[in-house]
Amino acid sequence: MRAIVADVEGSITRDGITIHYERYGSGTPTLLLLPTWSLVHSRHWKLQVPYLARHHTVLTFDGRGNGRSDRPGEAALYSMVEFAGDALAVMDATETERVVLVSVSSGALWSLQLCAEHSERVLGAIFIAPRVPFALPPLEHVVLQRFDEVVEDPVGWEKYNAHHWKADYRDFVEFFMGRMFTEPHSTKQYEDAVGWALETDPATVIATHNGLQGCTPDAIGQLADRVRCPTLVIHGSHDAIRSHAQGVALAERTRGALVTLEGSGHFPHTRDPVRVNLLIRQFVVGIG
Amino acid sequence: MRARQPDRADVVEREGVKVAYEVFGQGEPGLLLIPAAPISHARSWKGLVPFLSRHFTVVTVDPRGNGPSDRPAGRAAYGPAEMLADQLAVLDAVALTRAVVVAHCHAVPWALRLAADHADRVSGVVAIAPAIALAPRDEHWAEPTERWADEVDNPTGWGLCNRHVWRQDYPAWPRFFFDQLLPEPHSTKQYEDAVSWALETDPETMIAEREGRDAPKDRHAAEALCRSVRCPTLVIHGTEDRCQPAAGGQRLAELTGGDLVVLEGAGHMPHGREPVKVNRLVKEFVDRIEGEPMRRQVWTRGLRRPKRALYLSSPIGLGHARRDVAVVKELKRLRPELEVDWLAQHPVTSVLEAEGERIHPASAWLANESAHIASEACEHDLHCFQALRRMDEILVANFMVFQEVVEEGLYDLVIGDEAWDVDHFWHENPELKRGDHVWLTDFVGYLPMPDGGEHEAFLTTDYNAEMIEHIARYPRIRDSAIFVGNPDDIVPNTFGADLPSIRDWTETHFSFSGYITGFTPPDPDEVPAIRAELGYHDDEQVCLVAVGGSGVGRALLEKVIAAYPLAKRLIPELRMVVVAGPRIDPDSLPSHPGLEVHGYVNRLYRHLSVCDLAVVQGGLTTTMELAAAKRPFLYFPLRHHFEQNFHVRHRLDRYGAGRCMDYATTSDPDLIAAAVGDHIGEAVAYRDVETDGAAHAARLIAELI
Repeated sequence: MRAIVADVEGSITRDGITIHYERYGSGTPTLLLLPTWSLVHSRHWKLQVPYLARHHTVLTFDGRGNGRSDRPGEAALYSMVEFAGDALAVMDATETERVVLVSVSSGALWSLQLCAEHSERVLGAIFIAPRVPFALPPLEHVVLQRFDEVVEDPVGWEKYNAHHWKADYRDFVEFFMGRMFTEPHSTKQYEDAVGWALETDPATVIATHNGLQGCTPDAIGQLADRVRCPTLVIHGSHDAIRSHAQGVALAERTRGALVTLEGSGHFPHTRDPVRVNLLIRQFVVGIG
Repeated sequence: MRARQPDRADVVEREGVKVAYEVFGQGEPGLLLIPAAPISHARSWKGLVPFLSRHFTVVTVDPRGNGPSDRPAGRAAYGPAEMLADQLAVLDAVALTRAVVVAHCHAVPWALRLAADHADRVSGVVAIAPAIALAPRDEHWAEPTERWADEVDNPTGWGLCNRHVWRQDYPAWPRFFFDQLLPEPHSTKQYEDAVSWALETDPETMIAEREGRDAPKDRHAAEALCRSVRCPTLVIHGTEDRCQPAAGGQRLAELTGGDLVVLEGAGHMPHGREPVKVNRLVKEFVDRIEGEPMRRQVWTRGLRRPKRALYLSSPIGLGHARRDVAVVKELKRLRPELEVDWLAQHPVTSVLEAEGERIHPASAWLANESAHIASEACEHDLHCFQALRRMDEILVANFMVFQEVVEEGLYDLVIGDEAWDVDHFWHENPELKRGDHVWLTDFVGYLPMPDGGEHEAFLTTDYNAEMIEHIARYPRIRDSAIFVGNPDDIVPNTFGADLPSIRDWTETHFSFSGYITGFTPPDPDEVPAIRAELGYHDDEQVCLVAVGGSGVGRALLEKVIAAYPLAKRLIPELRMVVVAGPRIDPDSLPSHPGLEVHGYVNRLYRHLSVCDLAVVQGGLTTTMELAAAKRPFLYFPLRHHFEQNFHVRHRLDRYGAGRCMDYATTSDPDLIAAAVGDHIGEAVAYRDVETDGAAHAARLIAELI
């Protein structure tokens, strides 16, 4: 059973693609909990929504490619501009003028897009375990270069590979979600995340991956430099997906606060929900 | 001693009237604190200034009529336009473009007018126990309001609020009034403060202000004033406020769209009586309206955290430092993984640094308790109970530092060796407790000095009663309470009239570690070698004279030095060594041929443990070191020091140790010389002092980790 039921469920349609959104609670400012990589959908916020909705209006939506949103096939439809456009459309549909953005991982990209290009609609931005192309670890660089190659019997990060996804999507998902939770005793969080990933399909996930090709260090760096609102980066020291150094770099470039979660992995909002909830609330109260 | 000195104290002068203000800290946001003058003045904010000024600029103003401000004559001088102009002049003088105004009682309408007429200068208003005509006042105000100008025969109670009474016997009014305004039990210090501030002004000033005050007289005007305020507001009001009805505060919050915090059971002076709560409320309010940017921080997942303890060692004297270091050494033996931080101040820090202990950087924010105690002492005289009472603002200031440290530090355990602030304010604000709490002390119970009479007995009883009620109501605040000593060390007294026996109560509520010496006294066969190492010869009778680390001991040193020539004639082999300590310049003491005077002596306890006689004050640490080492000694308890005169003396008597000397009657040089002659080199038969106290205490503490 869900801890809280949405007050409003609805959808918006942009260029024929339907996006499902939900609205919870009341109170200002409104918090928009952004989608992340569509390997998962908006249920990953399930431990934040009930608490935050007691203090704020909370908006969530399923990123295109998973959940109850459409799953278009073309990579071009998964650019960060499209995700940002979906966010604006959800805000318009709910008559929400301005929001505090909360993002996880790849959600940082659409959040930065909104902060830089639509600053009048953003009060502040929280980046949890942000995916930004700063301070990239060498391993990831190597892996991504081989994304479209055929790799026989891939092991470890070699499984981050389009052919492998088509051949054994579940194997990749289990590997990846295993890396998400570096904290001991994370079985439930792991099962949840695997389940959400299996609600979409490999072709869609490949499209989402290819849709972000334009996110170069220069492009994202320029967006980060244009952020003027208060920001907070929350990053685990044991994040095996996006290194802690990326969070540090984003906090520096946006001149924001940095909270290091010592011992945390890539999805601290699911693994340490109480601390992350309180940090979100503290940030929102602090920006007045 | 004040917990926080102003960075700047100055006056603004308008039309010949000087209004004083003080500034603490710098930068924006700023807070302007306005007391309800002239019956009070800016010192009434003493519980708030040290804490708030660590976070914001704090400006306190003494409105005309009391404190260092002028007391102009005539009611016209106290009209609303004058008060408003004074406050604006202060804001200009301190170059604050905007401020959050915190006001008490009838200063609240001044603050509201400032916010309404100068909205650009006021970013928020905190109204504490506001005096505003939004709700009917309590019935007891009816008569004084009606008969204010009448000549009343034999007035009593609220009838003392009368112009003629004030002219005849003004002190009667504040004495009655503040008794009513502090209905909370155990408010003696707050009451004394409030009355004394009221008596710093005069009846004509009080009358002029009261008659000149132009607060909105009726509900309609008061509502109009409230509606003209646009900034955020916070109203703090006690339910037992007999000066201003809480319904008025509630209405003020409604009309200004502000927040209301009701303090259940509180009277009219919550900033004095509940300083911790009010500090936190004001800070939360300012943070909210000004925005508090988040800082860089690290949070460690629960299961990854090292076990950590925060140790607080009473800084009054050096005695606790060494015993606490000994306890920590034993504790680390039992729990090697334990990390210990110290929240400590000079002179304790000097011992800790020498031992390589880790001192928390927030220690720098602590107001110095040792300096306060020194400031309270005069010739061999320290009324330590009253000195502790007058340390109230330092204790609040230091508690607020401590609380921030424990809230950020993720400590498993707080160990307080007579950390009065922690123990008291956690009992007063039990929702703030973090981590387990170990309380250590070597005495229980405040005892009155005989010459303090009934009033002092009333005060010590009241303080003891509060402590007993604290422990009865919140047994969860002390997870472990350790008495540094044995049940027989406890004085035979009671806590006061109708209160239990100190020994019975302490045996019920404490564990006993035995005495903690902090060092192992030498065996008799080791003594010659140590004497040789220290340069004391077999043919000498060595008399050490020491007064500890404070400056309180100068008078005793001078008396003993004066006795030296007489004593030397009595005992030709006498070698007298005077240790002045770090706070007394040895060159400032009288000298005699053959008399040795030193400043600081490292590891003085080793000298004491091999001397032939010691002359000391009545402090527990030094006398027990001598008892443990079985050396003869004369000790002079500080006058009016209840702990030295009762608790320590009782304990020494139990050990059969030392000869107690009364400074008032036996400090003549010839009497001292005779006593030196009587006791030097004598064989003693003291009861053994245990050497496993630190290990015992550590075992008790380790149970919690």
